[in-house]
Amino acid sequence: MTPIVETHDLTRRYGTNLALDHLNLAIPEGAIFGFIGPNGAGKTTTMRILTTLLPPTSGEARVAGVSVTREPRVVRRLVGFMPDFFGVYDNMKSWEYLDFFGRSYGIPAQRRQQLIGELLELVDLAHKRDEPVMSLSRGMKQRLSLARAMMHDPRLLILDEPASGLDPRARIELRELLKELRAMGKTIMISSHILTELAEMCTHIGIIERGKLLAAGEVQEILRTMRPHRIVEIRVVAGAARAEELLRTHPDVLELRREGARAGTEVEEPPLDDETGPHTLLADFAGDEHALGDLLALLIAEGVRISHFAEQFGDLEDIFLHVTKGIV
Amino acid sequence: MLELNPILVKDLRSRMRGARAYILLTIYLLILAGVTLLLYAAISRDIGSDLNAGRRIGQALFFTIATVALIEVCLITPVLTSGSIAGEKERQTYDLLVASLLTPWQIVWGKLVSALAFALLLITAIVPVMSLAFLFGGVGLAEVLIAIVGLIVTAILYATIGLFWSALLNSSLGATSFAIGTIIALLLGIPFLIVIVSLILGSSVPSDLLDSVWFIYLSRFVAALHPFIALGATASQLAGGGDTFFEVVRTGSTNVVVPSPWVLYTVLSLIFSTLLLAASVRLVQPVQPGADRKKRVRKAVEAG
Ligand SMILES: Nc1ncnc2c1ncn2[C@@H]1O[C@H](COP(=O)(O)OP(=O)(O)OP(=O)(O)O)[C@@H](O)[C@H]1O
Ligand SMILES: [Mg+2]
Repeated sequence: MTPIVETHDLTRRYGTNLALDHLNLAIPEGAIFGFIGPNGAGKTTTMRILTTLLPPTSGEARVAGVSVTREPRVVRRLVGFMPDFFGVYDNMKSWEYLDFFGRSYGIPAQRRQQLIGELLELVDLAHKRDEPVMSLSRGMKQRLSLARAMMHDPRLLILDEPASGLDPRARIELRELLKELRAMGKTIMISSHILTELAEMCTHIGIIERGKLLAAGEVQEILRTMRPHRIVEIRVVAGAARAEELLRTHPDVLELRREGARAGTEVEEPPLDDETGPHTLLADFAGDEHALGDLLALLIAEGVRISHFAEQFGDLEDIFLHVTKGIV
Repeated sequence: MLELNPILVKDLRSRMRGARAYILLTIYLLILAGVTLLLYAAISRDIGSDLNAGRRIGQALFFTIATVALIEVCLITPVLTSGSIAGEKERQTYDLLVASLLTPWQIVWGKLVSALAFALLLITAIVPVMSLAFLFGGVGLAEVLIAIVGLIVTAILYATIGLFWSALLNSSLGATSFAIGTIIALLLGIPFLIVIVSLILGSSVPSDLLDSVWFIYLSRFVAALHPFIALGATASQLAGGGDTFFEVVRTGSTNVVVPSPWVLYTVLSLIFSTLLLAASVRLVQPVQPGADRKKRVRKAVEAG
């Protein structure tokens, strides 16, 4: 199956500024693709190219196999776009706003009326049908804009930072809405520079920085492969000093620190005293699952009493920081 | 059923909804009515019971109304269009239009027609007042019709001037300033040019140059770029018993036949309107950063 979004060496320059640098991206149909990167990474640029609003300097971008430069009108029919900043018209009611864009996409009058009702229902704005658009709250405008992007029943929805400026409740509502859209068979490409915002709802992510794609794929896949080694959290009830000694000399432990200590600072004197209560140690462990089992067995065999021994699951945030480290 | 242009529907809806449209129309009519009344009061006292009084009142009324209406059309139509496309850019709704299935032509056309619809409303509103002048006598049907054609053509040309600036620039304030600037330059610049040239040519130039065919055509051409000069000249020709469509210029040797100024004005205005419209269509593209845009503007200006 051809991916719904495909770019080959997509490059875009603004003067001498390289905004996109040979970007190769593929988004499978039906995915919720989170496009993550710091400010100025090139997210908006990519999205504007995919919506035919910006011509690429070189390279190619296709939506459902259709080139954005050669057949922009076909692409426009396939894509619904919600820009990061968008305006609404004063002097216009919610339904008229949708009606206008319905006309702009050539949807026949009867179908339009029906659609407006359905979409307002979907984004939970049916009660605001006759209200002026200007009177809606930011979250409502965002939802109305999403309904607008859905008017022509696009296969791909491109949403540029839709959650910015929304309160937590509105964000959750947005997330639910996106899940509903996905259930309707839409592919959704959504950008953000806040990872946690995307982590829960995306099936795929792509991390971009300085116009380069640093990592892309299924969320689980990325979580698995991008993490170089695991952090093991060990809570020691008795024998903390001995545990520290063992861990520090263990070949697979790259780094050891006490909880509360800053990352990067090695354990320093004096040794831990069991009298001061249970201690938690964080070991940066390079070995595999079996080696981890051996480590636990070793500690216990050496008489260390352990109440908690668990791998910390790094979230996307860690990966993001790790992957983008050093380039900024 | 054939659907109306979406931009037209949207703009008419919101233009006619607010109080602004009615306020503008009211002010426009108040100015016209005020001027008419003042004039009537002034003339009717002077003329007394002359037999020709009715005719003269009719003529004075007609020319005053036509002039005031022309001034108003010159100033209002470019303002109506100059905010249109630039306003969408300012409101950040422009990209949504361009990314939809609307063609640049539909966008430009919708904006033009919605502004013209309003201008036509203003023009239609003066027809009853003009008919009044017609009833007094002294004004022929041809004059009334030419005045209305002149007003409509002016509305179209000045609307496309506003539209062009609106498509070129990103702020409606900038577009309106440039549109008004262009119109002031046209309305004041052409008479200024004519005065300067005639001062220079004055007495020092041999009369066979002034009588040459190309000079006659050139001078008529320049004069026909100016609505007040062209329509005014037509009016005085008609009053002097000239033909409605042609003017015969008598020179020493031959008679040169040129189209009546209003005909020239109408043709030239429609040509310029078409060119400006084509340039605007070319300019309607997604908002883009510096370099590309400048290149496109240059191209569009060349095309226009
Ligand atoms: N119109 C423009 N003119 C010149 N440079 C631009 C323009 N738009 C973007 N850029 C540059 O292109 C690069 C990528 O910008 P882009 O807007 O795509 O980033 P982004 O990932 O969307 O960032 P943000 O998270 O801030 O929205 C930046 O370096 C930016 O300065
Ligand atoms: Mg952006």
